Amino acid sequence: MKLLLKIKNKDYEVDILEKGSNLSIRVGEKSFVFGRGERQAECSRKESAVSFSKEVRAPLSGIVSEIFVKEGEAVEAGEKVAALSAMKMENEIVSESSGKVKKIMVKIGDRAKEGEVLIIFE
Amino acid sequence: MEIERFERLDSTNLKAKELAARGAGAWTVVLAREQEAGYGRKGAEWFSPRGGLYFSTILPNSSIKDLQLLTILASFAVAGAIKELFDLEPLIKLPNDVLLNGRKVCGILTENVVGKGVKSSVIGVGLNTNTELFGEFDRIATSIRKETGEKVDDEKLLHLILERIKGQLESIKK
Repeated sequence: MKLLLKIKNKDYEVDILEKGSNLSIRVGEKSFVFGRGERQAECSRKESAVSFSKEVRAPLSGIVSEIFVKEGEAVEAGEKVAALSAMKMENEIVSESSGKVKKIMVKIGDRAKEGEVLIIFE
Repeated sequence: MEIERFERLDSTNLKAKELAARGAGAWTVVLAREQEAGYGRKGAEWFSPRGGLYFSTILPNSSIKDLQLLTILASFAVAGAIKELFDLEPLIKLPNDVLLNGRKVCGILTENVVGKGVKSSVIGVGLNTNTELFGEFDRIATSIRKETGEKVDDEKLLHLILERIKGQLESIKK
């Protein structure tokens, strides 16, 4: 649903979208995601390919060279979860949020594309 | 520029990553006279006896899209410095090796920590400056000294490479 709001003589285009149990509200270049009342996240369109609180996404494309966590393990924010090798460069991927690993979506040797989900938290 | 000097380290990249995680600033340099566990990509050994120039530096955080350029820029910086100081024609084997007369003289390994943005970047350079004996690697490796017959001033070369890496990074930010 798209709305046009006028606040202090300035026009704002607001796009409201339901995604499963989440509600996404986009205002201009920014998106606000509200989920089940207990979580909310803010991210810009440009940053949409990076980690979201319930998952860790590949911030860049690369070959999965290491996975540092196991399913069922607790992960702290800032902890490395995987490594991606790209352009003969090693990239340790850290989680931006804490959580318990529900599912690891990739295995060593897989080619992960930018934005692809690597780890899903419970 | 702060240079942390060590007689011997497992790996200058490991030490630089450790320092970066503890908050050390950009352009902190870790220099070792020898590495006991120098490594390249996928943990491949980098032969690091006394006589080579082994250093890593913490880079200022760049954007994720620029990460793929870091190793290439460092390769150009090393090759450019060798060309400036010696009568040699280095060949860059993209993205991370420099060769002299078909033999490897330098390997570069960039290691980043990435989350929502780049948390840290460390670039490690293993350069055979005064190494004379390569043992099992003799057919594939060489040093500047072997090619020129002259002793290399590691300190001068280190500073020139760092200056060139800085210059290259500034050029991509413009």
